[in-house]
Amino acid sequence: MWDKSTGQVPAIVVEGLRKQYGKVRAVDGVSFQVWRGEIYALLGPNGAGKTSTVEILEGHRRRSGGSVRVLGFDPGAGDRHFRERVGIVLQSGGMDAELTVWEMVSLFAGFYARPRSVAQTIEQVGLADKGRVRVRTLSGGQARRLDLALALIGAPEVLFLDEPTTGFDPNARREAWDMIAGLRSSGTTVLLTSHYLDEVQRLADRVGVMSHGHLVEESTPDSLGGRDVSGTVISFRLPARLRGSELPAGPWDQPQDPAGEFSMHTDEPTRVLLALTQWAAAHDVELPGLTVTRPSLEDVYLRITGQTSVGAGDGH
Amino acid sequence: MATEAARRSRPSALLALGQVRYQLTLLLRSPLGFFLSIVFPLLLLVCLNVVTPGRPVNGLPYAQWLTPAMCAFCLLNACYVTAITSMVLAREEGTLKRLRGTPLPAWAYLAGRAGSAFVTSVIASSVIIATGVLLFRVHIVWHAVGYFTAAAFLGIACFFLLGAAVTTVVPKSETALPIAFGTMLPLAFISDVFFFVRNPPAWLHDLASAFPVAPIARAMEDSFNPATRSWPMPASGLLAVLGWSAIAIVVIALAFRWEPGPAPAARGLGRSPRSLARWHHGS
Repeated sequence: MWDKSTGQVPAIVVEGLRKQYGKVRAVDGVSFQVWRGEIYALLGPNGAGKTSTVEILEGHRRRSGGSVRVLGFDPGAGDRHFRERVGIVLQSGGMDAELTVWEMVSLFAGFYARPRSVAQTIEQVGLADKGRVRVRTLSGGQARRLDLALALIGAPEVLFLDEPTTGFDPNARREAWDMIAGLRSSGTTVLLTSHYLDEVQRLADRVGVMSHGHLVEESTPDSLGGRDVSGTVISFRLPARLRGSELPAGPWDQPQDPAGEFSMHTDEPTRVLLALTQWAAAHDVELPGLTVTRPSLEDVYLRITGQTSVGAGDGH
Repeated sequence: MATEAARRSRPSALLALGQVRYQLTLLLRSPLGFFLSIVFPLLLLVCLNVVTPGRPVNGLPYAQWLTPAMCAFCLLNACYVTAITSMVLAREEGTLKRLRGTPLPAWAYLAGRAGSAFVTSVIASSVIIATGVLLFRVHIVWHAVGYFTAAAFLGIACFFLLGAAVTTVVPKSETALPIAFGTMLPLAFISDVFFFVRNPPAWLHDLASAFPVAPIARAMEDSFNPATRSWPMPASGLLAVLGWSAIAIVVIALAFRWEPGPAPAARGLGRSPRSLARWHHGS
């Protein structure tokens, strides 16, 4: 379990994972690896199989088939030493309303052989001024921060975050992102699920897109669906004294009106831009409104999951 | 990154003790638990004494019989009812699932619950007995205190185990209290807990004796009778208590649930489109 080419060691190895509920295949042959210290996101719509996958990795659910290793352990075996080394953030709930934040975090600290400091952990999740407050009085965002504190208190090597910012307001989301990004520096491996594209783009080193129980694509957020190179749009306006027919690296889409934009979809944006800008420089003109636009993550995501939802009917 | 040695787990016994403290804290902060375990039996003791003054039972003053009977009622509330309501609530709110994801062993959690039920029972019984002695001139039968303690201990263990076992069939928090009281109160009524059943029909006596409440309650009551000179629980009663406890242990081992939602058996058999839809949605 070691990649010779990169020297990396995987924290999580999933091979051919299957989970079936009755006749429904929630997870159908999913394989991926998460390297130590990496933030890996499972992205997909509701019902894609993300939570089933993560709950199997957490040891909360039994798999129907395939193999799973987290830090070398089979999570399904329920080994206590396994649970010493992982932290789990649940989608919701699971906190005693009548305990204070400090009591709750201290209680969980007591479960672990080598917990982090209670005070530091509460401070890290931004609840320093809420230590003496009962859990029931916390706002939704504050409760999720406590949730994160409970997952972090055991100094986990692998942290599972199931939709960590669902229901957050934009401010709380940004704060949560900063906290999760901060874990990267501590070397914690993070597996998170999300259906927010911006969250994945902001946090993840790599992303696996799930749809209908399949892992349909795996890449870095920036190159998802090949969007780092393919389908780039270059557009600009042409000064009146120049003619569109002289443009290099064509064909360019002509504007409807004389003041409109020329544009091109290209898989070779570098080559086209070089030719275009050299041509403009040779004519000593500035190209007004010159923009290079990559397809949005959302465009790519909808294309990937949309295509697959058609293919899934074929039972692949 | 921690080494294996540094990750050696904390002693389970310590974790269990921590759980007792945690459960007691929760109980003290939950008015229902406190009311059921201590205030309710105390109220009954006082009220029943007021409405039935001077009526002797088995040749003893009424309070002399009622005080240990209310102690048995304490045990039913502190162990059986509280186990069901609090554990189902903890399960349905996701607390058990969260705990299951930590190194806390399952048995340490259950031991913590049992320990808290034990401490509550001791405190509640002490308050009941002290009230009986101070207000109603109840005499403690010192030569039978050992019998009383042993019977109470059996009751605490048996009622807690039964409560933990019953949680496996309670589908949601809202049904926990009705199921707890719906099973406990009828048994308590026929088992000499609220009133002494004089010359019951044989079938009623046999029915009550087949369950663990009657043997426990009668042994505790007899331990407050100065005429009691030997262990007041018949062998058949002890068998009922131990038998029900053993059944409860098997049910807990096979079916205790940490996840919210209906029992897997119900899900597996039913497989209704609705529950499937929810699984699928939840995945």
